[in-house]
Amino acid sequence: MFWRLVFRLLRGSRARLTVAILALVSGAAVISGLLNLDFGVEYQLTQQFRTLGANIIIAPKTTESAAESTLTNSALMNEDAVMGQVQRVATAKVAFAPFAYVIARVGETQVVAVGTWLDQLQNLNPSWKMNGGWISSRADAGQCLAGRNAARELHLVTGGSLQLQYLTRTSQCKISGILDSGAADDNQVFMSLDSLQTLADLPDKVSVVQLSVSGTPKLIATTASRLSAALPQFQVHPIRKVTEAEGELLGRIRLLIISMIILILALTALCVLATMAALAMERRADVGLMKALGGSITRIVSLFVAEVGLLGAAGGLLGGVLGVGLSYWMGLRVFDTAVTPQWQIFPITIILMTLVAMAGALPLRMLGEVKPAIILRGE
Amino acid sequence: MATVVQIENLRKEFGKVCALDGVSFEIQEGEWIAIMGPSGSGKTTLINILGGLDTPTSGRTIVDGVDVGRLDEAGLTRFRAEKIGFVFQQFHLVSYLTALENVMLAQYFHSTTDEREAQQALERVGLGDRLEHLPTQLSGGEQQRVAVARALINHPKLILADEPTGNLDEANEKIVLDLLRELHTEGRTILMVTHAPSIGSLADRRIDFSHGHLVPQLAPVGSQRR
Repeated sequence: MFWRLVFRLLRGSRARLTVAILALVSGAAVISGLLNLDFGVEYQLTQQFRTLGANIIIAPKTTESAAESTLTNSALMNEDAVMGQVQRVATAKVAFAPFAYVIARVGETQVVAVGTWLDQLQNLNPSWKMNGGWISSRADAGQCLAGRNAARELHLVTGGSLQLQYLTRTSQCKISGILDSGAADDNQVFMSLDSLQTLADLPDKVSVVQLSVSGTPKLIATTASRLSAALPQFQVHPIRKVTEAEGELLGRIRLLIISMIILILALTALCVLATMAALAMERRADVGLMKALGGSITRIVSLFVAEVGLLGAAGGLLGGVLGVGLSYWMGLRVFDTAVTPQWQIFPITIILMTLVAMAGALPLRMLGEVKPAIILRGE
Repeated sequence: MATVVQIENLRKEFGKVCALDGVSFEIQEGEWIAIMGPSGSGKTTLINILGGLDTPTSGRTIVDGVDVGRLDEAGLTRFRAEKIGFVFQQFHLVSYLTALENVMLAQYFHSTTDEREAQQALERVGLGDRLEHLPTQLSGGEQQRVAVARALINHPKLILADEPTGNLDEANEKIVLDLLRELHTEGRTILMVTHAPSIGSLADRRIDFSHGHLVPQLAPVGSQRR
């Protein structure tokens, strides 16, 4: 009988409750849309920032600027020692590669030659544009990549050959592609780590290890501290410009979204409150009658609470579906990227809307004060 | 016969207005009492106090052994659910519940619902074919019969009817009065407020009110009726 009465109450006041449910659906739609954008923005920003390159560098403690240093015995790490620990700590969300640098010669022109795991270059630097082809084999000694500026200066073309000289040793490779990074990498040539170590006659030595952690600034910091613990003899430091910019931007977006959500919750509650206040006036006669028939206030109010709870849950669910669709559309229109629906938004929206509906139903409390004798007299 | 209602020196004041002033009387089980008097004489106040809808300023009201004046809010609620069946002049049905659900509502607040029993109650008042009708789809007489079925459903000790035919045409008035007569024949105790002497004459006994006082009875009404 309880639910039968609740559904009759809903049906009996459908005109007024339509206003309340419209407010709840609208509120839920905007809130779930914002929440979906919030989750989606975090993912999108994380992905976007990853295209900027590595966000953690491991370097010897003795070097001041390891990433740009060339190979000297005082500024080197043992490849097996460092990579063994990195592989142990790194998760599936981490791309990483060792790097070694040497200033080699091409004819009379000096160029920075970089030895690395060639198959990881694209994972570490997804934003690089490649004219030609990436190299898929990590230790392909026969192929190399040239930066845009280096290629222009050395007259290198895709498919052509490059001969590097370091002291008395030489190394030859075929240009697989010309890369455009928009940074200092454009001045360098990239070859397999083995080839560079042979050229420099420093087997198993690397200058730095670059890691690109795909995740939040917090995950990056966690990965960095785990690496620090595993590699106490080396410097492990996140590239702060990237992680801090990402963190700051995420923080600002999140603050904006949370502020808007609070504002919308308050507005929705006010709208429900106004509707419920009118409904409470309408229901005074029914409540007076119910009391006269022996209905306890707990039993009567539980009917209204269930009614409002159902209303909130339905509003939350409907609004949630609308909001996810809205955020998908906004993602495409505003951010030019599809925001994937986050299913955890539905329970959050339903709970929020149920609570808002309950808060908005506070005027129904006044029904507890109804005096049946007065109501039944028609006053 | 057992005493169902015992009222001793009942007084009710609304501010400076005294609605009931030292009223005392008793009602025996199975009696049909007509409360009569002009508007403002205290009839409805008496019904409200007897039904636990209002509390007296002083005096005692004992219904089926329960001192109503001593009950708290929760006690009054249980008292109304278990001891009293109300029939109002304005019918007071819940507009969005069907006839059947209006009767079941009283069951729900009393204990548990029994749809079959509620249906039988409506069949008894001649509304077996109106179970799923909303109050707006029923005539005044039919609505009052739903109210009578609702008043009976929990087998109350006392039926309080406040002007039960006040809003009905002659035909429906007869139907409702026949129903009350039938209930009386079955041994129900009925306290009915009415303005109409012809309706009051149907009762066993008539209690007249004037300005909150009982008017001395000259002769038993039942003797006139019979």
